[in-house]
Amino acid sequence: MKIDENLHWILSFYRTSEISGALFFGELARSLRPSAIQQDMTRHFADEANHARYWTDCLEKLGVEPLKLAVAYQNQYLAAAGMPTNLMEILAITQVFEKRVVGQYSLHAKSADVPGVVRDTIDTIMEDEKWHIQWIRDALKDMEPDYGAANIKETLRRFTLADREVYQDTAQEHQERIGDLRLASK
Amino acid sequence: MSNRESVRARIAEVLGHTMELTANDEVLTDLVNSSFLLVEMVIELQEEFEVRFQQADMNEVKTVGDLLELVDSRMSESA
Repeated sequence: MKIDENLHWILSFYRTSEISGALFFGELARSLRPSAIQQDMTRHFADEANHARYWTDCLEKLGVEPLKLAVAYQNQYLAAAGMPTNLMEILAITQVFEKRVVGQYSLHAKSADVPGVVRDTIDTIMEDEKWHIQWIRDALKDMEPDYGAANIKETLRRFTLADREVYQDTAQEHQERIGDLRLASK
Repeated sequence: MSNRESVRARIAEVLGHTMELTANDEVLTDLVNSSFLLVEMVIELQEEFEVRFQQADMNEVKTVGDLLELVDSRMSESA
């Protein structure tokens, strides 16, 4: 099976981003002391590494090798959002990032002429993503007495703005590749 | 050991440097290969010395001395 050049690039981009995500969350997990949160973060980065593998398998089924890409969404992320400096900020940036991932995969799954193997891969990944968003939401809720609900809300708002900026820059830079998959930033 | 020297010792330990290499005028980003190590250090300091920083606090911190000042002021506030 031969696939469209743009789809080849997009799936390779997803794969590269999942690898970067695994490294990103792995570094965050390493920065934490042993705790329930570190345990969940460890499972989280293991999931991201598996997602990269699923995309590698998907590309193989489509008859192509993954492209080696220098770009990954996360590369620009911390530059725009700034380094998190406490546990709450780490979880907030993770929550915002995961929502972006879910939004992008949902949009892709709904687009026209998606090969079955791509849709199956997205479905598999989305099962994990539900848990990712849930555990972080629960952990942030548990932090409200310590950090303050308003402070957490403001932190999420700040990181959401940074996320939009990075997404718009990425979408603009790769517009010819992404085409209809470009998300309208909400 | 004073509070400041305790904090400096912890910074040196997390970053894998000697105390001499964490003088007040050393720029923090020059002391690390990975910016994640700075995250690890900042979180470690907050847990160890029972203080809390926000991202806005860290925007003003460039050197080891700036960080010692921040930790010291937070410790005084909570004392």
